[in-house]
Parts: sequence; structure tokens; C-alpha cells
Amino acid sequence: MTELPFVDVVGFWVATFLTFCCLSFLYKDNPFYKLAEHLFIGVSVGYLIILQWGDNLQPKLVDALFVRGYRALAEGGSLDRWWVMRGIALVLVVMLFVNALSRRYKWVGRYPVAFVVAFYAGLQINAVAQSELGEQIKFSASTIDAPKVDLNSAPLDQLTSLPGGSPSIAEKLIVERARAPFTSVDDAVTRPSLTAPERADLAETRGHLVGLDARAAVGPGEHDRFGIVSNLLLLLGLLSSLVYFYFSVAHQGVIGKVSRFGVWTLMIGFGASFGLTVQGRISLAIGRAYDVSGRTVGPTDAARIHSLPVAVVCLLLVVGGIVVWELRNRRRSGKDSA
Amino acid sequence: MKEHWSDRLQRFDRRWIFLVMGLAVVVPLFFPLGLPAKPDRMTKAAFNAVDALPEGARVFVSIDLDPASTPEIEPFFRAVILQLKRKNAKLVFATTWYQAPPLVDRYMRETIEVAIAPAGTAGYSGLNDRPYRKNVDYVNLGFRDGKGAIIQAFGSSLRLAFDNHADDGTALERIPMMRGLEKLADFDLIVLVSAGSPGAKEYVQFVGTRERLPMIAACTAVSTTDLAPYFQTGQLIGLVGGMAGSAGYETLVGKPGAGTAGADVLNIGNIVVILAIVFGNVVYFAGRYHRRQRGAS
Amino acid sequence: MKKTLPLLFGMVFGAYAVIEFYIPHHLVGSLSDELRSWAAILAAAAFIIGGINILQVTWPKIRRREPDWQYKVVLLAAAAVMLLAGLPWHKLGDTPATPTVLIEAVPGPAHLVVNAPADVTIQVGAVIAPPRPDGARYQADVGPGTVEVKLSRRVPGYRTQLAPITITDGQRVTVTGDPPMLWGREGRVFVWIYDHIFSPSNATMFALLAFFVASAAFRAFRARNLEAALLLGAAILMMLGRAPLGRAISDVFPDLAQWILDVPSNGGRRAIMMGAAIGAIATALRIILGIERSHLGSDA
Repeated sequence: MTELPFVDVVGFWVATFLTFCCLSFLYKDNPFYKLAEHLFIGVSVGYLIILQWGDNLQPKLVDALFVRGYRALAEGGSLDRWWVMRGIALVLVVMLFVNALSRRYKWVGRYPVAFVVAFYAGLQINAVAQSELGEQIKFSASTIDAPKVDLNSAPLDQLTSLPGGSPSIAEKLIVERARAPFTSVDDAVTRPSLTAPERADLAETRGHLVGLDARAAVGPGEHDRFGIVSNLLLLLGLLSSLVYFYFSVAHQGVIGKVSRFGVWTLMIGFGASFGLTVQGRISLAIGRAYDVSGRTVGPTDAARIHSLPVAVVCLLLVVGGIVVWELRNRRRSGKDSA
Repeated sequence: MKEHWSDRLQRFDRRWIFLVMGLAVVVPLFFPLGLPAKPDRMTKAAFNAVDALPEGARVFVSIDLDPASTPEIEPFFRAVILQLKRKNAKLVFATTWYQAPPLVDRYMRETIEVAIAPAGTAGYSGLNDRPYRKNVDYVNLGFRDGKGAIIQAFGSSLRLAFDNHADDGTALERIPMMRGLEKLADFDLIVLVSAGSPGAKEYVQFVGTRERLPMIAACTAVSTTDLAPYFQTGQLIGLVGGMAGSAGYETLVGKPGAGTAGADVLNIGNIVVILAIVFGNVVYFAGRYHRRQRGAS
Repeated sequence: MKKTLPLLFGMVFGAYAVIEFYIPHHLVGSLSDELRSWAAILAAAAFIIGGINILQVTWPKIRRREPDWQYKVVLLAAAAVMLLAGLPWHKLGDTPATPTVLIEAVPGPAHLVVNAPADVTIQVGAVIAPPRPDGARYQADVGPGTVEVKLSRRVPGYRTQLAPITITDGQRVTVTGDPPMLWGREGRVFVWIYDHIFSPSNATMFALLAFFVASAAFRAFRARNLEAALLLGAAILMMLGRAPLGRAISDVFPDLAQWILDVPSNGGRRAIMMGAAIGAIATALRIILGIERSHLGSDA
């Protein structure tokens, strides 16, 4: 690979400096942070305008109306109804700009705003009714039974969904059971056509509570008892949470107790959400640490960028700058009080 | 009266905590724990869904992320692209996030148009992939804004949504691999690399449920609990949540990368937060006990 | 009229958006596609107006020399540079897509010579030439036939040059090229600013949250009652279960974390989803029926 151009090496240095400028906010709001923040906002504004124009407005308005329209007329054709429809869109865009730029004719902007809000509201109704209500109710109303997957007769997709399963393992199990039916789960996972890694994967997921043994059997009619309990808890959690959100009845007596169970379910759910949020936030910091330490580029480029010395220099610059700024502030406030 | 230690600690300058967190993120870079990342059930389901695709399958990949979310879901993207290229899948890319296009262009250069795991790749024993050719093996349709409306438009007509051309201006009718790919339902699988809204949720709401599309999604850890119910109902057939999920996916594909390395660092960060919660509560309860004792006396 | 007509305008399209779901006629589908294009166009226009608004709000602050006005200058300057860099200036001049090709009759096997600057990657067919730090020309004997020479730079923002050449024995083909720099959305300057200013700033702003969450964990998350204790307990189990360390301590943690996600979390989340869906439908109906008018301004 060719050498990284020097201007891109400088780019990495600039990125590192801006990273520490942004991180300096952890100390307190300071000139370095403000500089980085305003630079970021300015660049974002320019970026956004160019992108939205080039990727959305130009193809959907300029090209659709003027380029294609001109071409249609030049070829002796006429402008069809869809061209007229797109013309109305242009009028709506102009109205939106008038709303932003003119105080006197601001009311004109109500038309495009009304269209967007109402149109999205309409799309939303069908979308959420189907996916958030219909599908969720359908799933919740399904049986709480948790039958074990019969290794001797289950189809490919059911075998794939077992703990440790995969399409290739499922295909091999189907072939093996045709050769000789499985007599136990142990028998199934030790058949010779399975490779060592596949057997290791299956062995790792063995378990009678939530593992392979809980979900699989070698005959029909067996049930995953813990799965049934879990399904029951899932249903009860859902119903009690819904009761909690029903405010037309006082939460007292039986309703109060059910509502309380709903709160516990919600709290556990929020706790799970919080735990994952923490992981997500830490991941963002890890990403920056990787970039600053040069681990996201190849070794040749990393050597050219000198990531770690540059990071130290940028850190010292920012820290030194903040120290100077703090001293100046203290001197100024000392003078003011005097 | 002398101040109780719990009251002093309650007023602890939070900048010391920032410093500890910073060390927790930086130090493991140099002293990694090296713990293996194992996939969870939802990640395994996503992997299996891709694994079950036939050779030459047609896959739509929606890359809806920004630079901030790349540590969490870019590792998944690189791993799933390797897995798809191993199957010689025909790939169609698009994005609905305005921050994404330069990232998408970079991914095309770094993962699609070059071989991610050519023959002789150290530490990798899986099938090799090859460089893909633009408009022959893959198409980048580009960026379109419009949230749920544009996603619904993808489900109705990709040609109209993208004004009949790919991102580089090539007319879609001149791209042979786009023949028969009019809308999302024509694809064998839809892969959603989703950092927020619009993203996997909107795909499920506006087009996935209606058309019964086979979709897998990778999301940030924050969104995992929001999308997990969709996995349970089958509206998503796989879900890869956060950096830990991406690390698990890399393990399944057989090429550990930034996700696995990052998940290693995540361990220490998690420990710091857990200790902060525990210690914070110890301080709180000690203070409460002390105040009760003082009140009783 | 200024209030009623826009309301009616919205009601018509809102009602249409609901009804079109149930009508499978192709004309309805085409009209819906067109209206979705309108929505996309207006979304893009709204972003542009938002950007212009930021500039409108910033300029008076500079003129009035309000506190921190110098930073606003930085903001405007950065926006201006990005806007200028995003314009396709290269279209004003010549950016050749093909290099120049010179064919000479020279006895011997088919010989290919490629002249390009040192930082240009030369690819002949499927073969990528090794780097030439001294900028020396690339030369090789090639088999007779058609081969494509590709000249590109590893950094984005340059037009790749392609030259399909047909060469036979007894010929020397000299390809000379230099991928020209582009401007605009895929241009050198625009992408450089995105990669080295926008991207790290965007990522670091969000990375600050990691530190704040650690601080909040110590100072604010108190198990004051059973519910709070359940929340914190679930959070700790989830953190242990989803990171490799939890599995290293015990296999119970990942299984427990998955169970928490599958049962209580999904149960509660599903209830919230359903409740939110009912709320969303109710609000959407209010908007479509014209009962909700706040989006049209204060005197609507």
C-alpha cells in the first residue's frame, strides 16, 4: 500500500487534538471545548446542507422536474401528471422557505408542515397498529406451553434454533436420524458426522434449565418446564404492566397488588436497559481511545502518525492551556474583587 | 460535630470518577485481559440466518449509523460482510442517515472492493473472500432522507425511492444484478446496521411486519431492549446488540477484530460502574444509618 | 382561512395515508409513492432550513459582539468552508476519467509501462503493483490480449482512472495518468473535513456520556426501596452477563442476563410498546381529524 499522504497524517493529529478539546469539558466548560464545539457545529451545518441538497433535493426535485421535464419536452412529448405532482412538491418547498425567511408570510409555511405532520401521522397509524399492537398481541395470546423440539422429527429451522445449533449441524442431524433414530440427546450430539468444533459448540450449551437438554428431546410430547414457567411469567409481567398503566381505576386492593408486580417487572426491564446503556456509553469511549491510540489504522500508517506521542502532546497542550486560562481567570477575579 | 465519612464522600468531586473511568478505558488497551467473546442466543440466530442463505443470495444492507456508533456496530458490519462475501452474495447498500454516506463510501473501499480475508490471512481459517466489483457484485444506492416514509418507499419501489440510479449516477436498469430487485420483498435477507432512528424499529414498523420480510439487525446496546421484543415475536430473525454482540458475531465468523478487542476493554469499564454503584450505595446506607443513630441519640 | 385551509390540506393527506394501506390498486400505490417522495423532499428541505436558521441566529450575535462571539465566527467560517468544499468545482475544469495511452511498435514481448506519481496505486488486471516510493515508472511484460489498467489513490476524493488496453507482442504501451482531485460531496477536502473534524468531534461528544454515566452510578443510583434495588440488581446482572468477564466468572451470568432480557424486560417493554402504540394512534387521529393543531402555530 502507498504511504499515507502527509495532509492525512496532519488530519489524524487534528482529530486527536479535537478529541482532547471535547474531553476537556469533563473538567469544566472552557475555551478549548467551545472551540471544538463551534467548529463541529459549523462543519455539521455545511455538511448537512450539501448532503441534503445533493442526495435528496437534486435528484428528486431538480433532476425530476427540470432535467427530465426538459428532456421530455425536447423529445416532443408532454409533461405527465407525475411531473405536475412533483411540481406541487416544489411549491411546498418554496412555502417552507418562505416560512423560514419571511415574518409577514409565515402562515404560508403551514401547508407543508400540515402535510408532513398529518401524512406521517397517517403512515404511523397502520405501521404501529400492525407491528406494535397486532403482532405483540398475537404473540402474547399464543400458548404458554413450551414443547421440547423432537430431534427425531423436527424440521430444519427448529433444529437450527436449538442452543448450539446451526444450519450445518441441523442438516447433519437430519441425515443422522434417517440413518438411525436418536435414543437420547447425548446420542444426538455425539454422532460421527458432526465435526469436533460442532460437538464442542453443542457440549457448551448443555443444560437442563435453559440449555440444550431443556429445549430438546428424542420423542414427542415432552415439555420444557422452566420454559413454561418463563412464558407464564412473561404473560403475567405483560398483563400486570398493562394494569399499572391503566389509570382509570384506583390502584388499590387486588388491582394495587397486580400493579405492584407490574412495577417490579418494569423496574427489572429498566435495569436491564440501564445496564446495556452503560455498556453502550463505555463502548463510545473505547472507540475514541482506539482512534487516538492509532489502533484503527494499519501498522505502517500508525508508525507514520506517531499516535501515542501526538496524543501526549495534545493532552499537554490542552491541559497547559486550561491551566493558563484558569490562572488568568483567577487573576481577573482577584482584580475585580479588589 | 465532626463530619461523618459518608457525608464527605457524598460531596466527592465527580472529576475523580471521570479520571478513574478514563483509566479504566485506556489501561486495558495496553494490558488486555484476553477473554474470549461468546455469542448470545440472539447473535447466534442472526449468524444462522446468514449462514442459511444459498450461494449467490441477494441481500439488502441498510447502513444507518454515525461516527459515534461505529465502535459498537462497525465490527458486526465487517464480520457480516465477510460472511456474505464468502457466500458470493449480491449486495445492495443504502442508508437513511445523513451522517453515514462518507462512512459507507469508506466501507465500500475497505471491505467490499478488497478482500477482507484473502488466502493466507493470519489467524483466520475460514473460507476466503474476494474483492467485489461495483455494479457487478454490489450496488451502493446511496442516501435518502424521510424516516419512516422513505423506508416504506423502499418496500414499495427501490427505483422510485432512489430515482432510478445508484449513488454513482449509473441508471439502475443498466445494472444487471438489479434485475428482479424492485423492492425489499425481492431480497433473500435484509441486514440492518442500525444506530438509532430511523433504523431497525422503523423497518419493522413500516415495512417488515407488513411484508413479512426476513430481517436481522445490529443495534447499539442502548437499543437492544427496545428491539428484543421484535426478536421474540419473529419480526426480527436475529439481533446483535452492542459491542458485546458484535464481538460474539466476530467469533462466529472466525475473524476477531475491533469488537473482540473492544469487548475486552468493556470488562474493566463495567467493573468500574458496578463498583461505583455498590460503593455509592454503601456510602448512602452508611450515612442513613449514621443519621438514624444520631437522631435516636 | 389561514388556519382552516392548511388544516384541511393536512387532513386530506393524513386520511389518505391511512386508507391507502387497504386499497391494493396500482394507481393508489403510485400516488402513495409520489407522496412519500414529497415527504422525503420536505424532510431534506427542513434540514437545509435548519442549517440556514443556525446561520441566521449566529450572525446577529457576531454583529452585536455578544459574549463568545469569536466562537461564532469560527462556526460561520467552518460552515462556509464546508459549503465551498462541497460544491463540485472540478466540473468547471477537466477531470479526465482515462489516462493517456501511447502505443509503439517495439520488437519483443508485449510490454506495458505505466507512468504515475508515487502515491498512485497501479493495478494491471487483478495484479496490484508494489508501491514505488521513488516514483519510478512501472514496467512489466504482459500477455497479449485486453487488460485494464487502473490508477487510483488510496485516499478518497480522487477520480479513479481506467484504461482498457489491447496489447499484442511487438508493442510497447505507455499509460500516463494522474487521478485528478475531486470536489463536492465525494471530494478530497469535503471528506477530509468529515474524517478529521466532524467524525472525531461527533464521536467524542457522545463518548463524554461514558464518564457521566460512571459519575451518575456513584452519586445518584441509590437502592432506596425494593423497586430501585430490583433496577440496580438487574443492571448489574446485565452488565456482568453481557461482557466476557461475566462468563469467565460463571456461566450463570450470561444465561441469567439472557433470561432477564427474554422475560421481565420483554414483558415490560411489550406493555410499554402497546401503550405507546395506542397513544401514537390516538395522537395521529387527533392530528388527522384536526383536533390537534399545535403544529400549525400559536394562533391556529
